[in-house]
Amino acid sequence: MSLFGSMNRMVTITINKNQYLAEEGEIFLLTAMRLNIDIPHLCYEKALEPYGACRLCMVDVVTCGKTTMTPACTIKVHNGLEILTDTPEIIKHRSLLFELYLAEAPKSEVVREMAAKYGVTKTRFLKKIVHDDPLLGKCILCGLCVRVCNEIMGTCAINFINRGPYTVINTPFFEQNPDCAGCAACAQVCPTNAIVFDDRGSNRIMQSWSHTTVPLATCSSCRKSFAPEKLMQKVLNNLEPEIIEEIRTLCPECRRKLITRKEVGKIPKS
Amino acid sequence: MRIQTPEDLDSVRKNGLKKIQPGRPRIGIGTSSCGIAVGGIALYDRINEIVQNENHDISLVKTGCIGFCKEEPIVSVSIPGKALVLLRKVHQEDAEKVISLALQGDVPSDRVLCKISDWDHITGNLVYGNGFDSIPEYEEIPFFAHQKKVILRDSGLINPEDIDEYIGIGGYFASFKALTSMEPDAIIDEVKRSGLRGRGGAGFPAGLKWEITKKAPGEEKYIVCNADEGDPGAYMNRNEMESDPHMLLEGMLIGAFAMGVHEGLIYIRAEYPLAIERLMLALEQARLYGLLGKNIFNTGFDFDIRIATGAGAFVCGESTALAASIEGKTGRPRLRPPRLTEKGVFGKPTDLNNVETWCNVPVIIAKGASWYSSIGAKGNTGTKVFSLVGKVDNVGMVEVPLGTSLHSIIYDIGNGGALGREVKAVQTGGPSGGCIPVRLFDTPVDFENLNKVGTMMGSGGLVVMDEDTNMVDIARYFINFASGESCGKCVPCREGLKHMLLILNRIVAGKGTHEDINLLKELSETVQKTSLCGLGQTAPNPVLTTMQYFLEEYDDLISPEA
Repeated sequence: MSLFGSMNRMVTITINKNQYLAEEGEIFLLTAMRLNIDIPHLCYEKALEPYGACRLCMVDVVTCGKTTMTPACTIKVHNGLEILTDTPEIIKHRSLLFELYLAEAPKSEVVREMAAKYGVTKTRFLKKIVHDDPLLGKCILCGLCVRVCNEIMGTCAINFINRGPYTVINTPFFEQNPDCAGCAACAQVCPTNAIVFDDRGSNRIMQSWSHTTVPLATCSSCRKSFAPEKLMQKVLNNLEPEIIEEIRTLCPECRRKLITRKEVGKIPKS
Repeated sequence: MRIQTPEDLDSVRKNGLKKIQPGRPRIGIGTSSCGIAVGGIALYDRINEIVQNENHDISLVKTGCIGFCKEEPIVSVSIPGKALVLLRKVHQEDAEKVISLALQGDVPSDRVLCKISDWDHITGNLVYGNGFDSIPEYEEIPFFAHQKKVILRDSGLINPEDIDEYIGIGGYFASFKALTSMEPDAIIDEVKRSGLRGRGGAGFPAGLKWEITKKAPGEEKYIVCNADEGDPGAYMNRNEMESDPHMLLEGMLIGAFAMGVHEGLIYIRAEYPLAIERLMLALEQARLYGLLGKNIFNTGFDFDIRIATGAGAFVCGESTALAASIEGKTGRPRLRPPRLTEKGVFGKPTDLNNVETWCNVPVIIAKGASWYSSIGAKGNTGTKVFSLVGKVDNVGMVEVPLGTSLHSIIYDIGNGGALGREVKAVQTGGPSGGCIPVRLFDTPVDFENLNKVGTMMGSGGLVVMDEDTNMVDIARYFINFASGESCGKCVPCREGLKHMLLILNRIVAGKGTHEDINLLKELSETVQKTSLCGLGQTAPNPVLTTMQYFLEEYDDLISPEA
């Protein structure tokens, strides 16, 4: 999409036997969302490459009368694409996946609500209980936090540890990680609100990430702590054109005030 | 010396032949991992010590494994002009006897397995001679009689640590022919017409994959050999690399030339130290002869192979996880497409083939596609090496034409159950495969027919189970393996297998219920249908097949109160 609307060709696709117009090359999951066709998903984020790990968005792609189960986040729209999103088989597998999630993240309200919406209210599997879980028993290992940290922020402060059923996400060796900029993009992107952090005084404490402590920048005007210092540096160093000197050290609020005052000053007095 | 002309190659061949048939007694000790495990190296050292100390006119070499692992350490004694004799279960204390008899032109009769008068190396023919009338011929031993050796043609007969011996029996002649007299497309065409299918498990046509890689846009490309064999009970690839490493290198060289690729990689697990050692040595020797490196055979073609060792994760046998591991990342599969042929190692188009697939290439070029496709069955040409293990009498490395029945492999070659017990089932394809009951042993072993009965070829492990084996416990064993090897990326594999294991533990402990059996089945189907990569998609097969064929064993474990 550009500012002037779609640059791509519109094509006809079939979803659950109904025909729709869709933009060629678009991720099918997004198309479905736009068309209000409900497909549950937990690991897709527009800013990142499709990952296909949560398996909840599995739909049937119909080719020559044969169906193949494929995650909707990995299908690209093309002319004649035919999709079934709610066959009994899909619903059956999806329900069981929800049961697995309910057992894996028993404390997650998001998972519970989403599962309930699809008619799954309890699990037949043994619930995972981890004492003092830094992710509060809510993590579903979708990897969004790791991918945001590595691919978007370029920080690599957290990653997967161990493998298979023992996989967890944290900092290397569960120690405070000086690489962490405290941007909290991980918490922002987490679909189950599993990541916790807290701004205390002049520090941000990433409680989920081994209590990694990141100093916050102080506003040169109001003396309030407002954003992680390292993140500020990173952002300010990358701005093109550079931000004007006098607002570099201000918090957003003071910045707004200063600019407003300047603009007001420009209005000719009548 | 660099080999550049046919004369160069032929002079090395003659030299190599002299090493194999040195005009004095030659003793070869089976020193693949199987031989070493039962004292092969100790035996080699002892014989070496005696030969050195007493200055005997004997040539002593290490050889690979001739396949009859049950009878290791196997020793071959070749007396000039006489048939080569294979001795079985030779140990250190037999060393002196073997040497003194060899010097007299004889062998210890209590250790005799069989004799070989002449041997078809396919790339060459060796005549040893006659004599030893009372010793049975190789073809008379049932374990060998029903086999057809194409991949294992040199195993156990030549010294894998000496390139001269490989060239001596016609090795590298196929690559010389390919590079100097064939168009790259003609090579691909030959491989396509041979019908060779990938030996890693899925059976994708190898020639077609080569063609796709060749046509993929981009200058920089890779060919990779998948030597990450990790199925429990499977060790064919290890043995192929330990016994005849140059066969693999030659196959890769021909493939590289056909695809126009200049860099090759062998991804091998670190748990195979001897295979790595022998491959490294083979690479070094091939480079010295100019068979790898710049301007190979004076054709202007450059190609070299590097070794990438993995840390032994089963999931790294999956192509995209393997590529990630080579790049130094965690071995986790990614979504396909794009396939490796499009976006592989370091983002470049990559052709990935299993060890055994590469090993088939030299003979296809040497003997031609129609010779090759006459072996095996239609659509399933050539031979396949299996490691026949478990509760079978004759444990070992078995090579048969595709389409041979399981019955023939397990009874004719394997001689049925060990210790006279009844065979009940066989597991093919490792943790991705299934258990086939004895009543389906007429099934021909090929890619399609194994799929039909719920299992798969896999890389070629055959684990035999007898009457004493509990099939539920077998299923539990494989799920435990697969769960431990899951990368943890997608929920059905990570969580699903874990819960399958918990349920199976419950059933095996006698605490399961009929609901557990139903839940296990339901969960197996979801894991199979919704997992991201082949590991998860195939991991429930051992459960599903044992449920299909041995459901009564599950029911027997449910207590009546439950």
